Amino acid sequence: MSDADFDDREFHPRGTVLIVTLFVLLLIVLWGSVYVILLARGTTL
Amino acid sequence: MLATYELTTGQKRFIWHHLLVAMVALAIGTLFGPLQAFEHSGLDLYKYLDPVIKSYYQGLTLHGVLNALIWTTFFITGFITLTTIKGLNRPLSHPKLNQTGFWMMVVGLLTAAVPILLDQATVLYTFYPPLQASWAFYVGLTLVVVGSWVEGWGFYLTFYQWRKENPGVRSPFITFAGLVTMVLWQFATLGVAVEILTMLLPAALGLIEGTDPELARTYFWFTGHPLVYFWLLPAYISWYGMLPKQAGGKLFSDSLARLAFWLFLLLSVPVGFHHQFVDPGIPQTWKAIHAILTFGVFFPSMMTAFTVIASLEYAGRKRGGTGLVGWIRALPWNDPSVASQLLAGILFIFGGIGGLTNASYEVNAVIHNTTWVPGHFHLTVASAVTLSFMGISYWLVPHLKGKKLYSAKLGVIQAWTWFIGMLIFSNAMHVLGLLGAPRRTPLGEALYVPAEWEGHLLRVAIGGAILFVSAILYFWNIYKTVRNPETAEVEVPIAESREDPQNTPAWLDSWKPWLIATVLLIIVGYGPQLYFMIRDISLTSPGLRLW
Amino acid sequence: MSEKLHIDKYEKNWMLISITILIVFAVAVLVAGFALGFQLPGVSDRVDPRTVSQAGPFADPGLREVSPGHYEAYIVARAWSFVPREIEVPVGSTVTFYITSTDVQHGFKLQNTNVNVMVVPGQVSTLSHTFDDSGSYDFVCTEYCGSGHAAMFGTLTVVP
Ligand code: HEM
Ligand SMILES: [Cu+2]
Ligand SMILES: [Cu+2]
Repeated sequence: MSDADFDDREFHPRGTVLIVTLFVLLLIVLWGSVYVILLARGTTL
Repeated sequence: MLATYELTTGQKRFIWHHLLVAMVALAIGTLFGPLQAFEHSGLDLYKYLDPVIKSYYQGLTLHGVLNALIWTTFFITGFITLTTIKGLNRPLSHPKLNQTGFWMMVVGLLTAAVPILLDQATVLYTFYPPLQASWAFYVGLTLVVVGSWVEGWGFYLTFYQWRKENPGVRSPFITFAGLVTMVLWQFATLGVAVEILTMLLPAALGLIEGTDPELARTYFWFTGHPLVYFWLLPAYISWYGMLPKQAGGKLFSDSLARLAFWLFLLLSVPVGFHHQFVDPGIPQTWKAIHAILTFGVFFPSMMTAFTVIASLEYAGRKRGGTGLVGWIRALPWNDPSVASQLLAGILFIFGGIGGLTNASYEVNAVIHNTTWVPGHFHLTVASAVTLSFMGISYWLVPHLKGKKLYSAKLGVIQAWTWFIGMLIFSNAMHVLGLLGAPRRTPLGEALYVPAEWEGHLLRVAIGGAILFVSAILYFWNIYKTVRNPETAEVEVPIAESREDPQNTPAWLDSWKPWLIATVLLIIVGYGPQLYFMIRDISLTSPGLRLW
Repeated sequence: MSEKLHIDKYEKNWMLISITILIVFAVAVLVAGFALGFQLPGVSDRVDPRTVSQAGPFADPGLREVSPGHYEAYIVARAWSFVPREIEVPVGSTVTFYITSTDVQHGFKLQNTNVNVMVVPGQVSTLSHTFDDSGSYDFVCTEYCGSGHAAMFGTLTVVP
């Protein structure tokens, strides 16, 4: 596809969806791992 | 909207002066970054600085103040001067006002610099009392802040004049977004203004016996969190409003870009207790409320991620990129301004994840005041923001000086070295933080460093060395550009939106409801707790100079 | 001109996913913080940093057994040491820490636990930890407190 056949109305950000999906997975893994460290270090009560 | 108005030489010079101060501050400020990183790995270079810089902490004060406060504030006010003039296609309505503001900032900077350089203000850039700096430090910082307010008023008046002549017309996105940034800053800085004027300065002048440190922290972090949005939003202005054009595309959604900016204004102040999660003297309930509001202010950043990436995908496909990821390769990676901002955006993904972790109430106890925290904000302010600003300067300096960029290739290499250096540096800092290494500490001389930290401390130094090279490449390129015999006319890249901005709903372009909601939310989010803390104020901590 | 906000359908889904994730994380955080005992410090009585080490519990800092297996540790942070510097408790003990400062701000981070607090003059920072394993735990100052800051730490030893 070249610039000439690029159709604005047919544009759907599918690649963006892929990237943000990967972002969410990374977020869950990294955030989750710190949350697990919190749980492992014991309560403060 | 087409930018038809060309900046006059005087206006260009005025903006350039902002950038010049900013870049000189960054040059001196970043110098200490590698020194700190080397110190962590056991290589102490401070002994050679002794006649000028007395300690690690004095260097760290310079690093924090010059990078986080001066480089950012000067660059941002200069940049918003540009977005105001270019967006509205008209000169500033009260240029004298803006010049006054600028010179106040310069005088403030010099006033604060003297005590810092004389080792009379080694209190770090957070200046927590009762550590007490020379009065000149507080006066100087106040002048910088007030000067930036004055410049902000100049922008509002210019906008007001434009609005009267153009009722019903959607304000141009870059101008709108710049003004939101300035307004946010003025709400935000009320905290430190009160802190300095009612406690720190009177104490430094001996007018009161001492300060109330926990109340001071509360004032400080009233400012401290929105401060990070003051840094970040100008980068977002470029990502939303300029980068799509530079990449050969359009802004994916004008309305959502505006909505994101309103949400930042609305939510970025009443969240400051997330910096005080492990403080005594603040009820858990308030901490939890601010934690939830912080999750709220994370949302517009997630929107930004989508809109910005979609705008880039649009550009990449327009350039002939295909497939799910092929459009990424099709982007103009050989343009140093684009490469810097794309890499800044990638680093920001990790910065955002770390930020949400910090904001997660008791999870904060895992990493509070460890090296994780500087690891985090070198991805945000020192990368998403600083690397983007560097990227902006690759077209802005040529635009202002009428010179051709000295070397685009060097610029691309600079962006990549910053990216790689920062990945190594910040990963090591995060890991060390999880292992318990405290921040603001010359770990090379600490006696409690276990063997398992050492490999990571070495990686901090390696990352720092690569970043140092990158910084030198940057300043060299800018210096050679300013002195370049080759002239060039470089345009300000202003992205069009896919949709006609005129179709953006009017409620996304009207100030009153959002300003009222912002004030109300600040009152609700801070009012009660501040009321009790001020009622119970006890100025029982006399100022101390322990360095 | 329209007053309705038009949102691309992909982006709308993304916004819904974002909100969902944030809600899930918020719930996880609030449950741990308010139901599972992963507390943060809160409000306690104010003290006067100029006189706090002359009378009251901080006049004689150290460990006290309040009931079998339960201890209170009163710790004074000052430039640039913790008093006491060494603490010893039997394995299985629960220790509640009360920490204050007589001069500037400090930090108190007990390694490998969630006891990590700011120590602010005029305030008392309180959290507890139960020591299920023997060994030694350093507590380090995590806030800049002047030129001796890097030397400021102590050790808590859990003995079998
Ligand atoms: C050459 C690149 C850089 C390196 C190697 C570097 C390194 C470091 C290190 C190792 C620390 C931690 C010091 C400690 O906690 O004891 C630090 C702190 C800090 N850095 Fe950087 N840095 C760099 C650039 C920047 C930039 C560009 C900014 C901001 C625009 C920045 C802002 C800060 C701030 C605000 C602190 C915290 C100071 C404090 O705790 O008071 N740094 N830096
Ligand atoms: Cu914050
Ligand atoms: Cu300390």
